[in-house]
Amino acid sequence: MSAGDLGAAALRAALFLSLWGTGAAIYAAWRRDARALHSARIAAGIGFALVVLAALSMMFALATHDFSILYVAENNARETPLFYSVISLWAALEGSILLWTAILAGATAFIAVRGTVAIPRLATTALAVMFAMLTFFLLLITTPAADPFARLALAPDNGNGPNALLQNHPLMALHPPLLYLGYVLTSVPFAYAIASLILGEGGDRWLVATRRFALISWALLGVGIVAGAWWSYAVLGWGGYWAWDPVENAAIMPWLTSTAYLHSVMVEEKRSLLRTWNLALVVATFALTILGTFLTRSGVVNSVHSFSLSAIGPLLLGYLVAILVLSVGLLLWRSGRLRDAGPIGAPLSREAIFLFQNVLFMAATLTVLLGTLYPLVAEAISGAQLSIGGPYFDRVEIPLALALLFLMGVGPQLPWHGASRATLERQFTAPIVAAAAGAVAALVTGTTALAAVLTYALGAFVIATVVQEFARGVRARRTLHGEDGVAAFSNLLRRSGRRYGGYVVHLGIVVVALAVATSQARTVDAERTLAPGESLQVAGYTVRLDAVRAVSEPQRESIVADLVVTGNGANQDLRPALVQYPSSAQAVGSPGIGAGLRDDVYTILAAYDQRTLSWATIRMRVIPGVSWLWLGGAVVGIGAVIAGAPPPRRRVVRMPIAEVAAPAK
Amino acid sequence: MNGRVLVAIALLVLAGALVFAARPHEATADERIDQITTELRCPVCQGLSVKDSTSETARQMRDLVAQRVREGKTNAEIEAEFRTAYGDWIFLSPPLSSWSGLVWLVPVAVIAAGLGLVSARLRGPGAPAPTAPSAAQVAALRERVAREEAAEG
Repeated sequence: MSAGDLGAAALRAALFLSLWGTGAAIYAAWRRDARALHSARIAAGIGFALVVLAALSMMFALATHDFSILYVAENNARETPLFYSVISLWAALEGSILLWTAILAGATAFIAVRGTVAIPRLATTALAVMFAMLTFFLLLITTPAADPFARLALAPDNGNGPNALLQNHPLMALHPPLLYLGYVLTSVPFAYAIASLILGEGGDRWLVATRRFALISWALLGVGIVAGAWWSYAVLGWGGYWAWDPVENAAIMPWLTSTAYLHSVMVEEKRSLLRTWNLALVVATFALTILGTFLTRSGVVNSVHSFSLSAIGPLLLGYLVAILVLSVGLLLWRSGRLRDAGPIGAPLSREAIFLFQNVLFMAATLTVLLGTLYPLVAEAISGAQLSIGGPYFDRVEIPLALALLFLMGVGPQLPWHGASRATLERQFTAPIVAAAAGAVAALVTGTTALAAVLTYALGAFVIATVVQEFARGVRARRTLHGEDGVAAFSNLLRRSGRRYGGYVVHLGIVVVALAVATSQARTVDAERTLAPGESLQVAGYTVRLDAVRAVSEPQRESIVADLVVTGNGANQDLRPALVQYPSSAQAVGSPGIGAGLRDDVYTILAAYDQRTLSWATIRMRVIPGVSWLWLGGAVVGIGAVIAGAPPPRRRVVRMPIAEVAAPAK
Repeated sequence: MNGRVLVAIALLVLAGALVFAARPHEATADERIDQITTELRCPVCQGLSVKDSTSETARQMRDLVAQRVREGKTNAEIEAEFRTAYGDWIFLSPPLSSWSGLVWLVPVAVIAAGLGLVSARLRGPGAPAPTAPSAAQVAALRERVAREEAAEG
């Protein structure tokens, strides 16, 4: 039996188990039947193992170049290196949906094994929802809609090889799986929310049970988006990292609603408010992940005409509509039981800031959604072609982002219920001084665009609030527990991880914002045609062309420009190239990047003398601070790990009975 | 220094910096080329601007814009030339004058509606007035504050 047969058989068995599990979990939740629950658990565990087996079979088929499988023939070639063969599992639609299904099966198994022990009825109902979703995806990949193991009647001698852009950089190993993990894990809070609505629970048990899942999926989405920006920067060769492309928009939308949710959830936990709203946010986040997959995987965004080519488009659209109808219906049906415990406090209270923040996140999300969909709808209805791109999104989203940055500094400094004047002075004196210093620092370093100056000021404002919080926390621990500074600091992170991890995340976001502002405001371009020995000067850097040469590798042919960058302390060899893969008609640009904490020197081989290689046109961008964007993303990830790590168990202090003070009469 | 004086000085410095950054100034030729090419769509790319694209078409369009700027044409004149050649599609940001200009209303409408909803909840019909703490609670708090201050030294 070949790997392809094994994988196809495993998926069909998993489909059967998933159907069985759906029924068993529904019966177990309805009748509180322990035997049915037990069998659903086993179905979830074995089902997960089978889907993983199928994914591994596909990796094996790719690695061994089994071109009798259509997917392998289309996305692999004999010359493809092993590393890129294996990660071609997510190079195209069918393999991506297989990876998606494997992650979903893993989440289902986790809930079956761990969740149903903690809160049996709610988790068992959620398990039924998970099984139902898993069944849908298994149906996709066991029917011609997205069958990864579809066969070719006649196996070709060699395949097409992966898409040129996808075999050009190792970040491809990281960025798609992170995003898929983030996408798929949003289905866990969704399943619990739906279960809570089905059972008519008015409380917030679903939310407490899935808090960590929501945080993890949010963090994976965020880090996946930054990894995607990095990949785009390192591969696409235009010197930018974000273009408001529909694929990027599809990823940022659920991240925005998920961020709103992580904050408004605290209002529900502390004050039992916003119950319906939080459920709606969870539903919206999940629905946006499906919408994103639909937009990017059905071919609908690139051209309306390719819509009918893939059967998966209508199926995903139907799935999305079904989810929305079910969720909205349940929310309306149960809205009577979701009464809030009372009104919200004063405008200058933490809960009010969370609400304002939610409004801004909604505006940001709906703008991206409309800007992405409007050109499609307009073209479908009237045939009118129009563009909504970077300049539109920048004009709307940058002011929203600045307002959010401001609230990020204000919110954590305000107490619940409302703040007195004395509190305001105590909390905001240092941050306001820092904001002024930030604005001056921007001007002094030559960052003079208004949006950038505001970003520096607000960034300094937020950093000051975070430093102030840490300083107070450390001082309190030193006084109360007599710890030294380092121990107090690490105990803050370990014992109050949710709060202080959140502050670390805020710091990471500030670093990202500063990197974006700096790189957008101060990038310098130049382009010149050089003969070997000639050079080009930009922003204190000199780039000298040493040679233009052709390089031949088994899987590709390249033209490489040998450059030497000097100036501002740099001395580096860069090799921008134009790479020709047999599978693509056009050569792909591969930039030469000299990365640094201060500036990146980004070079592109734009054109060259095709007959004698005696000249090359070099485009050069000096991009300040862009490395901090990736570092900021890492800080966000670290903060999320701190916030999500379980706190250490409390020590039980046993005292001799004589030392316990007698209760006062 | 008094905290309030400090805050007042900081706010003045901040306002000064922002006014300086926002001051109107005559754009240089290079800045104008950047402004115009940022708004133009590279016709052969997927959503990249003429400024960012490395394609041959985009390079020719950049050269054309640079030439028009040198000829002394205004931004509006140069944009009109591209609109005549390609239609509104060539602009990455939909012009306010067209139907698509309505997309600019979306963020404004969402924020207005959201703020309306939130402020309705903030005042809250029949919100119970916060009750003043009892004398005993105040005394207990005073005592606790005194104790903690003593502990801090």
